[in-house]
Amino acid sequence: MNAWDELVERCAQRRLKKLGPLSDEAYAELVLAVRENPESFIEHTPERAMLVIARALDAYRASCRNDDLLDDAAFEEERSRRLAKAHAEFTLAREIDESSLDACLLELLTEDRDPDLLFRGLIELERDFSSDELPPGDAWDDVFYRPHLRLRAALARTCLDTARYGIAERAATSVMDASPSDPLGARHTCALALARLEDEKGFDALDARFSRQGDPWSHLARVILLYKLDRMSAARRALRGFDQLCRGGAYALLRPTYVEPYLPDRPDVTPGGFEESVFAVREAEPIIADVPDFINWCQGHDWLVASARRFAEKNDLDW
Amino acid sequence: MAHDPRREDYQRLSLRFAEELDKGDPADAARAFASFGRRFAQDRDGLPQTDADRAFHLVAMASDVVDRRLPFASDEQAPDLIKRGKELLEEALRLDPACHDATRMLSSSRTASIDERYRFLSDHADEVRASCEQARDQALGELSDERAALAADIAMRPYWRWLASLAEEALICGRNRVAIDVSERLLASDPRDTSDVRFTLAYALAKLEDLQGWLALTKRYAALASGRPADDAWTLLAGASLAFHNGNPMVARTGIEKLLRRYPGGAMTLIRQAELPDGEFARLHVAPYSEDELILAVSEGIVLLQEGTDRSGRGTFGAWVAREAARIDPKAAREAMAAREGGQQS
Repeated sequence: MNAWDELVERCAQRRLKKLGPLSDEAYAELVLAVRENPESFIEHTPERAMLVIARALDAYRASCRNDDLLDDAAFEEERSRRLAKAHAEFTLAREIDESSLDACLLELLTEDRDPDLLFRGLIELERDFSSDELPPGDAWDDVFYRPHLRLRAALARTCLDTARYGIAERAATSVMDASPSDPLGARHTCALALARLEDEKGFDALDARFSRQGDPWSHLARVILLYKLDRMSAARRALRGFDQLCRGGAYALLRPTYVEPYLPDRPDVTPGGFEESVFAVREAEPIIADVPDFINWCQGHDWLVASARRFAEKNDLDW
Repeated sequence: MAHDPRREDYQRLSLRFAEELDKGDPADAARAFASFGRRFAQDRDGLPQTDADRAFHLVAMASDVVDRRLPFASDEQAPDLIKRGKELLEEALRLDPACHDATRMLSSSRTASIDERYRFLSDHADEVRASCEQARDQALGELSDERAALAADIAMRPYWRWLASLAEEALICGRNRVAIDVSERLLASDPRDTSDVRFTLAYALAKLEDLQGWLALTKRYAALASGRPADDAWTLLAGASLAFHNGNPMVARTGIEKLLRRYPGGAMTLIRQAELPDGEFARLHVAPYSEDELILAVSEGIVLLQEGTDRSGRGTFGAWVAREAARIDPKAAREAMAAREGGQQS
């Protein structure tokens, strides 16, 4: 979530409403002016809450950067401290604007709950904020509606973590239906859920819907799906595809690492970069755990292990 | 239903004995048959039998060792029992290379992973079917009436057990569609469901969140001549899992309550969720609705219970089931807690 961009857009749109119709050039200038100094354009409580959120997210992300140097206990302590601090800020944002779904969502996500309790919290939020009608066109284009899409996408991911694959698939699909451009990547959650449900038809339809662009999630989901269906030659080819098309994919799969909770959605990373592979493996973790010999099978392919090792050496990573 | 190796051993020899008697005087036959039970118990070797019968007897002995005694053995006794079981099975194979039960049971120690064992069972299923069908056709050609029916049934059982093991292994490997296909193949071959494979099938359907498939299966129970309604622990746990994972905790709760009404005193089992090794010969033969049966269903149900991330390490559904059982039966919860603390201290 880019909270600053959204804050600027919200302020510009509020101002536009007050000023009346503007030419495209004039609106672009207005946006520039807001971007220069967003605070001076804040006139309503929702944006005041948004400002708190934007700053808290910056602080949270900055504090994540030095973890590599910590041992396990210190890391755990630092992680709790960091989450607690962010939680306090999001609570503050919610107190400024009780109607801020973003603040409520972030407050819940930083509570560090057990995934099943998080699921229930998200369902409650869905109920509490259910009144809004879907905007026409791609819902993502309405900056005021985006929090709803974020909540749904977070719900879908939490369903994946708590083995509720049917709901995960339906929630992710509803995000894609509301916003066909799918900037939140709900399709990734959907692909993993369909793989776990061994729904080949559904998986193929999803792949076609996004023009078979391919990404670490869909490549990994395809490997898991074919493995589960016991089509082993096809699974092997898919594994090779995952290795060749996803940067660092083999390394991410064979050396999974801890990934910070998404606040509130997947962090922006370079498309096609290593981090995407890391995210895909992290999100697929519960599904991989349900296929007990899957990783052994992957490790049985020398070329995959060699590829992972090469990646580690080239990028100075532990092997 | 379920498979009982000792009963099957007895059935095999009684068939053989009857066959021998047919060759003699009918009056002597009736008298001789009256003595069969005693001779089976005391003079087994003196009864007419083929190498295949002898091999099956060794399989029955091996089942006794690995399925009945091994689970209760101490750490010191276990290696000897495992060795003994293997020796019996290897001896069975020497007597009868087509002893599929021995091959199947040995495969679990001869393969390095569950995936490999799955592969082995899957690769040889057709071969085993052909072999068993040949034996069945031969029996049908040589015998008549009831004896032919029993002999044909006995001839097919190793194949049914093979498929039942394959279905269970597929379920454990996370290959739920395969588990469903294999279960259906088994039900087509044995509509009376001697192997109770519908239990495995119910779990595979629950894994795929296929509520319609599960409902349709429960409606078939009456047609499957198993003589049991759809209220066994597997079916009820699968139903609760389906409701829970579909966001209907109230329906899931009703399912757990029903399960505990059917298996009174079972709360402790639902709280502990112990995972036991599967029976090597077949799913252990226990009394319907007994505590043992619930223990088996919960152990096989680990695939449903332990899924999802949960900090207690039980899995999302597993943690919830334990909480529900504790809510329904607080006394069992206290006992489970005490047992766990006792276990930690010792």
